Amino acid sequence: MTRSRAALLLAFAAVWAVAAWLLWRSSLPAYHLTHLDEHALFPGFVLHRARHFSGVERLFWVGQTVTQLVVLGLFARYGVRWMRESAAGPIGTGMLLGMIGFALVWAAELPFSVLEVWWRHRYGLDGSYVQATVGDWLGLGARFVLLSVALAIVMGLARVRRIGDWWWLPAAPVFVGLTALLAFVSPWLLGGRPFHAAYVSKLERIERVHVPVRVIGGFSEPNAFATGLGPSRRVFLWKPITEGVFTPRLDRFVIAHELGHLAHNHIWKSIGWYALFAFPLAFLLSLAARRRGGMGVPEAVPLVVFVYVVLQLAALPLRNVVSRHMEAEADWSALRATHDPAAGRDLFRLFAGQTREDPDPPWWDYVFLENHPTLLQRIEMTEYYRRHYAAAQSP
Amino acid sequence: MDAHPVRLIVKDDLERSRPTVFFRLILAIPQLIWITIWTIGIVFVVLANWFVTLTAGRPAKTLHGWTCAYVRYGTHLNAYLYLAANPYPGFTGEQGEYPIDLELPEPGPQKRWKTFFRIFLVLPALLLATALGGGFSTGFSSQKGNTKYSGAFGRGALAATCAFLGWFAILARGRMPKGLRDAGAYGIGYGAQAAAYFLLVTDRYPNADPTAMLGDVERPPEHVVRLVGDADDLRFSRVTVFFRLPLAIPHIIWLLLWGIVTFFAVVANWFVTLFRGTPASSLHRFISRYVRYQLHVYAFLYLVANPFPGFDGAPGRYPIDLVLPQPERQNRWKVGFRIILAIPALLIGTALGYGLGIAAVLTWFVALVRGAAPWGLRNYSAYVLRYQAQTNAYLSLLTEAYPHASPLEGEDTPVE
Repeated sequence: MTRSRAALLLAFAAVWAVAAWLLWRSSLPAYHLTHLDEHALFPGFVLHRARHFSGVERLFWVGQTVTQLVVLGLFARYGVRWMRESAAGPIGTGMLLGMIGFALVWAAELPFSVLEVWWRHRYGLDGSYVQATVGDWLGLGARFVLLSVALAIVMGLARVRRIGDWWWLPAAPVFVGLTALLAFVSPWLLGGRPFHAAYVSKLERIERVHVPVRVIGGFSEPNAFATGLGPSRRVFLWKPITEGVFTPRLDRFVIAHELGHLAHNHIWKSIGWYALFAFPLAFLLSLAARRRGGMGVPEAVPLVVFVYVVLQLAALPLRNVVSRHMEAEADWSALRATHDPAAGRDLFRLFAGQTREDPDPPWWDYVFLENHPTLLQRIEMTEYYRRHYAAAQSP
Repeated sequence: MDAHPVRLIVKDDLERSRPTVFFRLILAIPQLIWITIWTIGIVFVVLANWFVTLTAGRPAKTLHGWTCAYVRYGTHLNAYLYLAANPYPGFTGEQGEYPIDLELPEPGPQKRWKTFFRIFLVLPALLLATALGGGFSTGFSSQKGNTKYSGAFGRGALAATCAFLGWFAILARGRMPKGLRDAGAYGIGYGAQAAAYFLLVTDRYPNADPTAMLGDVERPPEHVVRLVGDADDLRFSRVTVFFRLPLAIPHIIWLLLWGIVTFFAVVANWFVTLFRGTPASSLHRFISRYVRYQLHVYAFLYLVANPFPGFDGAPGRYPIDLVLPQPERQNRWKVGFRIILAIPALLIGTALGYGLGIAAVLTWFVALVRGAAPWGLRNYSAYVLRYQAQTNAYLSLLTEAYPHASPLEGEDTPVE
């Protein structure tokens, strides 16, 4: 490596680090959570069921991941032979190869998808065999569209003579722009019906965020999320979280959590993090593509798809760290807005019974699969708040 | 490929008597009553023949003769009802007495397993016959004892649409348009082959290939919009066949987006052609690309061709390609009323499209197993795509040549 390249790399790393530090900053206090005994928080049968359910779910994930890597590895080696099934020119052929790669992965993962539905049924959770097979087969088409657009962009850029192997430099901002556009537009596409509760406007006033809160159907599990940019910002509640055991007090905590995401610009920050990962990822993909003649030729696509999946897997722990950090900030924001740690604690205890989520999973599950703090950590945060803040403030 | 033992013979001269056409449905009532009665009898005949064929390995000669007469009579009656022929048919199903006739095989050896499972094996053919027409509606309804089935089978979309349009044409001109007659006869012929297979006349599966079905019929003149490509290439990749629908979705979305722009281009071209008498060449080129691209995508989606198509509709890149004319002078009246004039073609295109969907599903299963498309179904689908491309070209002012409904390719098609 030449000195100028090393300097450039160093400068890039410095910029990356500064940007990451800026994005990492949050309103979370410097806290230390006291470890709680999960057996004191959750009934024994709830813990046992959650452990058993999550344990097998983890095995499914491992099976799916290994299958995906094996299939794409083989596809990287032999996938080029499907080029003869195309009359679409280099870019179209690249799209076809990419789609076939993921189609083969889908087919290989199908047994796991079916087993997962069966496993969910055993634990009283919803799941549809049709959705997992035929329904997902059609859903595959939607994923193919995104993949085709992505490949059309990178291959199109790589085929421009003046850009060539430097395609990753313009491609990364293009993808960041598309992600931002999607985040901006998607709330209007989701629909839903308005959610009315007296406490919403009070929470909005406290968190200084005034956005519509909507309920969307079609889900069987309790959940909520915040999305959108600027005028499209919304909070969406999945219908089950507004019903049954989820009392208005618990819903208030949920909405406060989601408003916290918007109050602390987490959607923008997510896009920022995406941008930080996009550049090095695209660069590494361009290095891989060069081994097969560059991203402009379809022969590179099977290998690039494989490398992409490997890099995504490698980056997963880091992305989960970022995601957990933002979720913790949203939890903290909810505690400050509601001053109701008991509601938070009850909500997270309820989740373990409702979703069969393991409150305290093993370390590797935490590293690879948990994009939220564990239920135990979230309860520990409510306890921390109760001890240090709630006593000093009235609700 | 050997000729199918059930052969359609077309000796119709296209001349029609207006009064009998006007009252065709009413005049056919005695025939419909007669075929219903005959059907009740044939149920027992076929059941007996099924046992005989299972045990002896070939149908009994007498029972076979009765069944042949029934199938032939059904074909005569369908031809009469669907205006594919003019004279009032006899009631006995005699061979050689009717302009749309059938040549049926002598009783020969039949495979026992095919006989045993006949009722299941015939289902795909009956499904396609539903789309093409020419099913013996009342006959099969009585056999199955389920009127719901009879309705579905009797409503042959293609033959019925041709008859509906032909009825108006005949009342106006005294002649059945050749394209409609050919299409109707093709549907009737396929229905007859399906019936012959179902009723144990032969164990040869129906063949949907239009050229084989209407081999003796005079080909229509060459159309300016026509398909070119390698007709013998039936090879299919099983992986891309299995995932054909999701793989086509990016193309469908692109087709949709391009279609929106094309719509406005066609509107602009309509004004240009109306005033100048000739389409604008730039718009003509743009729309031609779209029409060709649409053909490529449909050929891929409906399993007429194997490779993944390009996104630009460029000529000469796809195995099933479209020849389109250069901009030419067009009659302003025909341009002005193009949408109205295109309605009959759109109706036939819709009827054909119904069969295209069924053919694609059937081809999907066959191609997954064999790695190749069945010749007959592929050719039927290519016929539908050709007709729809001609309709699209007509509707979008690429030509003023009306789509030709005949399943046969135009004469003197240059080999490319």
